[in-house]
Amino acid sequence: MKISDSIRRAGRSLRQAKARTLLTSLAIGVGAFTITLSLAGGQGGREYTDAIVKANTDVNEVAVTKKMPVSTSIQEYSADGGGTTDGFGGSFPTITNADIEGMLKIDGVESVTPNYAPAVNYVTAEGQKKYVATISEFSPSVTLDYAAGSVKGDLKSGEIVLTEDYVDVLGFGSAENAIGKKVEVNTTKLSTSYAPVPETKDFIFTVKGVSSASGLAFRSQGSMLISGDQAKEIYTYINEGTPVYGKFILASVRVADANRAEEIKGVLDGKGYDAQTAADVLGTVNTFINVLLGILLGFGALAVLTSVFGIINTQYISVLERTQQIGLMKALGMSARDVGRLFKYEAAWVGFLGGAIGSGLAFIVGTIANPFITDALDLGNIYLLKFEPMQIAIVVIGLMLISVAAGIFPARKASRLDPIEALRTE
Amino acid sequence: MIEIKGITKTYGKKQNAFLALDNVNFTIPDGTTVAIIGKSGSGKSTLMHAMSGLDRPEIGEVVIDGENILTLKQRKIDAFRASKMSFIFQSFFIQPNETCYDNVVLPLEIAEVPRGQRRAKVEAALAAVELTDKIRSKAANLSGGQKQRLAIARAIVNEPKILFADEPTGNLDSTTGGIVEDFLFNYAKVNSATLIVVTHDPELADKCDAQIVIVDGKVQSITGLDAKGETPEKPEEEKLLEEGDVEELLEATNERTDEENV
Repeated sequence: MKISDSIRRAGRSLRQAKARTLLTSLAIGVGAFTITLSLAGGQGGREYTDAIVKANTDVNEVAVTKKMPVSTSIQEYSADGGGTTDGFGGSFPTITNADIEGMLKIDGVESVTPNYAPAVNYVTAEGQKKYVATISEFSPSVTLDYAAGSVKGDLKSGEIVLTEDYVDVLGFGSAENAIGKKVEVNTTKLSTSYAPVPETKDFIFTVKGVSSASGLAFRSQGSMLISGDQAKEIYTYINEGTPVYGKFILASVRVADANRAEEIKGVLDGKGYDAQTAADVLGTVNTFINVLLGILLGFGALAVLTSVFGIINTQYISVLERTQQIGLMKALGMSARDVGRLFKYEAAWVGFLGGAIGSGLAFIVGTIANPFITDALDLGNIYLLKFEPMQIAIVVIGLMLISVAAGIFPARKASRLDPIEALRTE
Repeated sequence: MIEIKGITKTYGKKQNAFLALDNVNFTIPDGTTVAIIGKSGSGKSTLMHAMSGLDRPEIGEVVIDGENILTLKQRKIDAFRASKMSFIFQSFFIQPNETCYDNVVLPLEIAEVPRGQRRAKVEAALAAVELTDKIRSKAANLSGGQKQRLAIARAIVNEPKILFADEPTGNLDSTTGGIVEDFLFNYAKVNSATLIVVTHDPELADKCDAQIVIVDGKVQSITGLDAKGETPEKPEEEKLLEEGDVEELLEATNERTDEENV
């Protein structure tokens, strides 16, 4: 019997037991549903983290800190601090200008920018209250999601990207209305000696853009962005003349070729620095997603495993019920191999139906649920469940193969039936 | 030609052994209709299974067209059956939820007849048993007689040269059974096919060219087949009766009566 005829006849046989076929297929469908949704969640999750990383990190940048010395013995005090800075209740190894010079000599390093992270007291606008804020340096290669305005290239000195959260409290009414308005940032100069009234300074900025409070933008969220030069200016004002001046917790090493980021990370590691590339950040998040995905796929696999026994049971009963038919087919000259193949194809059909039903339902449910999930989790324009046709095809084909494997035992029983005995069966 | 040579078949082992066929020998020329007659358990069905290669006797040969099919590998026997033989059973064995077309096309699929030829063959087979209008009907909706006619259509669709019928009218009333018999014998006649009917119905057996009586696995008598396995010439009067030539028949009868009187 030709394979095409066997496949068609197998399909017809299943149609004759519609309810049983549907129920068995649904059992597989539960597994297909879970697996398809898990894969869609994994795919969507990875794309989401990828978007987050792209929105918050630069693939050409390597974040560098000095390695924390691991020592069990008591260290001798050094007056110059030995490249450490005190604060936060502890002592941290810091990056100095000498370190920066050294890093610049590494092949492939384009520039090294210390993280100035100027500490500011508050931000305010004319006639408004003062609000606590944090300020970071703007990076032109990080994709920001703007609620209003935008920055082409780099920020200029005197320009600021405000966060959406501050629009109302600073009295702008709307993000669009904030563009071009002035904001005032106040800082305090650190002093090595006690001063009854500490020296403070106001820096005035013009709002160039308003970053959206999107789920993607964790770097910019709550942190206003100013140009690197201005960050350095404020840092210098605050710290100049103090022991911590010129010592940085973090520096950003910019590599000329993003493909060499890992290689340069290795060189930095050898020189006593901890370095983290954008890929590291992505990898860490993806590892978490993969663990979650693995758990969900495990549930799906369990559902499929359960349905495998359903297929074996259904097909076995089908063989018993159709003993006479098998006997007739053998009497008419159908080979044992073709009889077995007929039942394996029936199992494959069940797998196909289950896969198609489960994956189809998952697609429909996911498509309907996606906007709600995005809204509930504040994911911006990203859908968490990303359905890939190839993944769905692999799920369906995989389930067909599993079903065929489950059908081997009943198929073998059918193929080994003695036609005479089969025809005598009542 | 079917040559049965010394077939012996035993079921069971040791003290439970049962001799179903015991040294059976006969030869059936092509195109002969043969009845295998016997009581239940006499071994007639076992003989049919052995002749068709469905069963393998321990001893003996089943030579069809010069080839001992019992020495063939299973796949070859399957292919042989698919191309040259077919079966009709007392229980019809049709698939009730399939259409008549799907039931009848099965042997063509098994024999891997090209798809383009199937439709015409199925239609011809259904026409031969007067079921053309039922081609798209579900087999479950047919009457008992129609079901057996459908089974005949399935059996003849691939134009087999050997047709086995195991109690073909056993489940039918006499009128319907008669119609089914006519279809069977007509097929054999038109196609010069060998028809082997397993039955315990003497009337059906009488319609056949030859009768083989089986008792306890042994051939008790063979009528209609000569020692070489050829069908003897029919009496002149029987031929004339079949041809409907009444004048010639009366003349022949008078001549024979005269000869007997002399």
